[in-house]
Parts: sequence; structure tokens; C-alpha cells
Amino acid sequence: MDTLVNVAHGFGVALQPINLIYCFIGVFIGTLVGVLPGIGPISAMSLLLPITLSGTPESGIIMMAGIYYGSMYGGSTTSILVNIPGEAASVVTCIDGHQMAKEGRAGPALGIAAFGSFFAGTFALIALMLVAPKLASVAIAFGPAEYFSLMVLGLVVLTFLTQGSMAKALLMACVGVVLGVVGLDSITAQPRLTFGRVELIDGIGLVPVVMGLFGVAEVLLNTEQVIKRDIINTKITHLFPSREDWKVTTGPMSRGTILGFFLGILPGGGAVISSFASYALEKRLSKTPERFGHGAIEGVAGPEAANNAAAGGAFIPLMTLGIPPNVVMALLLGAFVIHGLQPGPLMITQNPGLFWGIVASMYIGNLMLLVLNLPMIGMWVQLLKLPYNVLFPLIILFTIIGVYCSSNNVFDVHVMIAFGVIGYFMRKLGYEPAPLVLAFVLGPMLENNLRKSLILSQGDLITFVERPISAVCLTFALVLLVAPLLPSLAKKRELVALDEEA
Amino acid sequence: MSNDSHVKFRLNNSELWGGLIGLAFGGYVIWSGLKLKLGTINDPGAGFVLFYAGILMCLFATSIIISALTEGGPTFGSRWVSTRWTKPLLVIICLVAFSFALNPLGFLLSSIPLMLLLLRVVDPVRWSLAIPIAVLVPLGMWWILKRLLLIQLPSGIFEIG
Repeated sequence: MDTLVNVAHGFGVALQPINLIYCFIGVFIGTLVGVLPGIGPISAMSLLLPITLSGTPESGIIMMAGIYYGSMYGGSTTSILVNIPGEAASVVTCIDGHQMAKEGRAGPALGIAAFGSFFAGTFALIALMLVAPKLASVAIAFGPAEYFSLMVLGLVVLTFLTQGSMAKALLMACVGVVLGVVGLDSITAQPRLTFGRVELIDGIGLVPVVMGLFGVAEVLLNTEQVIKRDIINTKITHLFPSREDWKVTTGPMSRGTILGFFLGILPGGGAVISSFASYALEKRLSKTPERFGHGAIEGVAGPEAANNAAAGGAFIPLMTLGIPPNVVMALLLGAFVIHGLQPGPLMITQNPGLFWGIVASMYIGNLMLLVLNLPMIGMWVQLLKLPYNVLFPLIILFTIIGVYCSSNNVFDVHVMIAFGVIGYFMRKLGYEPAPLVLAFVLGPMLENNLRKSLILSQGDLITFVERPISAVCLTFALVLLVAPLLPSLAKKRELVALDEEA
Repeated sequence: MSNDSHVKFRLNNSELWGGLIGLAFGGYVIWSGLKLKLGTINDPGAGFVLFYAGILMCLFATSIIISALTEGGPTFGSRWVSTRWTKPLLVIICLVAFSFALNPLGFLLSSIPLMLLLLRVVDPVRWSLAIPIAVLVPLGMWWILKRLLLIQLPSGIFEIG
């Protein structure tokens, strides 16, 4: 009963005209960045982070969340029609989706991707609604030792799943922690690594770092190649899948939804890994696995459902523990912090309007996305024809303006350009930016909780292993750190590693 | 025994240099941590986390260096093979020039040439399209920010914008 009252309260917030507008802007931009190759949800969210300052916290977070799950919908359009994933979670959709389009079945492929995304998104929201308050009540008992260990686990999982050398990913995570603690020490008020610059006293801003590493660096990488697009030019018909298509895809969609939701909750996991896992599962369960790769509709339905369910599941650790499980959620945490809010176990009770408003807006956003992605598919197809040589200078200009507006400081524009160049060379040398950004956000919290737990335990390190939750997290982290040394596990890691460049 | 088991040491091994940069940065972080004072285990100081993060950085960087020395790695040249490496270089030069020009020239006088350069240097957009985009987009953004959102962009020594 309480849940229903809360949901009704949430709809009261989400249905306010201003929040509806922000929700629409969010899902529209999300679909747009999902459709356009070369700019993903991370770049778009970092670009729009300063805009959240202009409205209420509810409006800003509703828009940012809309960009994330909206991009999951939009990404499939580019994968199916152009064979270029609009964002990393749609890589798998290219395999069978584009084959279906080549066979003249672009309509059913787009339709099943949109309906699968809608059902999975709705399931994830109901689960979020039921699980989050329960988990939050448990999380109240968490102390600094548990938080520290959970953050360590999150970072290790992300480095484990990052493509390429784990040593490089761990090095990046350490660099992120160091950059995160630049500025005044929260306990002793000593300036750290500020080089005498007043601008660094408050630390390095999240917006210039993320925009540089993801926005500018992505543009620099894209200018290296001529982006060719082989757009399917046939008329898109039969968007509503046939009875036969529904029969074949109900199982994959359901399995993808459940798998995606649970993988989304895990720290370091997320939409990309869940779509790969769902594809592998469906291929293994299929009586005709040879059809996969040649236009099997199950190969579109399962992964698309999985990546949307994961997008919903990823909100759980952020909302209940205040720990972002991936970079996108780290940006969302940034939006909360900008408004002076700290997501965590107390947020649901202290700020019910915000939590339930966000959840309710996601229901509404999912419905908006269904309309945006099916009847208006023609508009997105036209957008795919926008040449990249016109698009990238605009992206650069928007990042510059976005960074400047976030702080009204030219220094941050310099920081963004510097991180853009560093990010470009990092990617060229095989150093992924995701662990750096997550560690950058978690760094100050990690340090704070480590120091608090050491002070509380009077320097007794056993505190981290005598508390069960902390011990379990650290054991998992240790197993993942040792895993690449074992050949069989190292091979498995390569299979599930995230391809962020996709 | 094949010759493949012998990894030739190459100074332009990009993995080696990546590890060395990491090691140098780690060393600097350790030094900074020590300078800030570590404190004690039951009352950690401002340099505590920096010091241990620096140690971990040095460990991971050393592992990268060892792997580069024992297994080899791609050269710098091979990282940019069959790419148009001059294009990102040109964009970087434009961005650095812009970052130096932004404060003295202001937003409008620095962003219009930046846009024009970006539109023309990578995959040249025809002049008839490049000029209107380069002028109208920054001007439109400036108008929205200044008039609608009341955000003052840098106006530079000429006070334009």
C-alpha cells in the first residue's frame, strides 16, 4: 500500500509540466545521441550536466536519466540501419539487426528492439521500485568500512571488465583517485596537488574532466578515419512485429530482461556486458544457433531487452548506497552533488519526492520513447545522413560552452582541452578512461571512508575483514585481481571485456 | 627453438613509455604524499591516501614495463598506421590556439575562427556552408546564453560579446 502511495506521489512530481518537458528533452537527446555514431550517453550527459543547474534537482536528474535510457533505445536504430552501433551497448544488435534490414525486415527489427526495450525498461522500473526501498533500509546499517570495501569492489569490477590490460586499467583507477583528491583536504584543510593555483583549491571539476576524456577525445579519435555510412534505403514497413515474431522473441526478451537487470545492479557491470551476455545465452539455448548472425530476431530482442533492463538496474546501487556502479551513474551522482544532494540509504526517506519522481518519470519516459522510436523513425533515419564533418565542430563548440557555463571560468576550458588531448593519447596507447572517471568520482568518498574507518577502529585493519559485508566485497575484489593470472579466467575476462570504443 | 622467443628491445615501444610515464607520475604522487605528511594508522594525514595510491601506481606501472620488456609491444608508429594522424593533430593545434585566445579576444572573436578552421581542416565543408555555420552558430549560442540564460561569456580586451 505504501508503495502505491509513493508511486502516486512520484507521478504527482513527474507529471508537473516542467518535469514533463525536461523528461521529453532527456529522452529526445538520449535517442539523438544513441542514433548519432561518435557521440554516446556519457558525452551527452557530461555536455548537459551544467544545464541541470538551471532547474530544480528533480528536473535536472529526470533529464539526465532520460538521456541514459533514451540512448539505449536510439542506439539500436543505427545498429540495424547502418551497421554502426550508436553506442557501445548496441554493438550486438548490429550482428542480426543489420542482417534483418538487408533482408528487407528492418521494420520488424526496429519494432522488436523498441518493444523489447519498453518491456524491459518497465520491468526494471517495477523491480527498482520494489527492491530499492528494501535495500536502502538494509544499507542504513552500513559503516565506513562497508562503503570503502564496496567502492573498492566497484572499481576492481570495472577494471576487470575493461578491455585490454588489467594493469593499465588499475593504473588508470589510481590516477583517478589521485585526481579526485586534488584540492583542500576535507579533514586538515591542507591544499593538495594545487600547484599554487586558486582554481584548484576546490579540486578539479568533474565536467571538464569528463567532457575532455569522453567528448573531445572521442572527436579527435573520430577525425582519424573517414566515417562511411551504408544506410539501408528501403522503406521501413511492418514496425509492429508479426504473431510469429512475438512467439519467437517472448522467451529471449524475458530472459534478457532478468539477466540485464541483475547485471546492471552489479558494480562495474552495466548495459554493454548484459547485451553480450544475453546474445551468448540465446545462441546457446537456441535449437538453431546457426541462424544467429544471419538475421535471427532473437539476437535483436534479447540484447535490446537486456541493455534497457540493465540501465534501470544500475540506478539501484546509486539510489540506495550512493555508489555509482558505472561511469554514467557517476555522472548522475555528479548531478546530485551539484544540487547539494547525496544519494544513499536516507535519500528515499528524506527526499521521497525526488526518488519517486525520478522513478515515475522513467515510466513516462519509456512511453515517450516508444512513440519517438516507432512512428517517428523516419526522422531519425534522416538525421543519420548528417555529415560528421559538420557535426564534430558543433560538438566541440558545445563542449566549450558547456564547460564554461558550469563554472564561469576559462580555466576549466583549459582543463577540458588538456584532458581531451590526454584522453586521446590514452586511448591510442590502450588506456581506457572509464576506470579513471569512476575512481575520480569515488576518490574523495573512498578516502573519507578509509580514514573514518581507520580512526573509528583505532588503526585496526582487521575492521575491514571482521565485518561480513566488507569481507565479502574485499574477497570478491581479491579474486578478480588474481583472476587474470589464471589462464582460464583470463580467457573468460577477454570474452566479457567491455569494448568502449565501439 | 625459434627466434620468436627473443623479444627485441626497442626504444620506440609505446607500452614501455606508457609504463615509464606511469612510474614517474607514481613517484611524484608518493613524494607529494610524503610532503603532506602521512599521519599515523589511527589518524591518517592529508598525504596518506596519496602515498599509498602512488605506491600502487608504481606497482602497476612496473608490471606494464616488465610486460613491455619481456613480451614487447607495438611501436608508436604502428598505433597511428593507416589513420589520418594529421587531422587530430590539426584539431589539437586549433584547440590549443583557441584556449590561449579565449581570454584576450573573448568568446565571439575566438570561437568564430575556431569553427571555421574545424569545418575546413578535417574534411573540408564547402565555403558557402562553412562560413554561415561558423558565424551563426557561435552568434546564436552567445545570444541564447547572454539574453535568455543571462550567462556572461568572456568578452576579451575589445569587449565584444
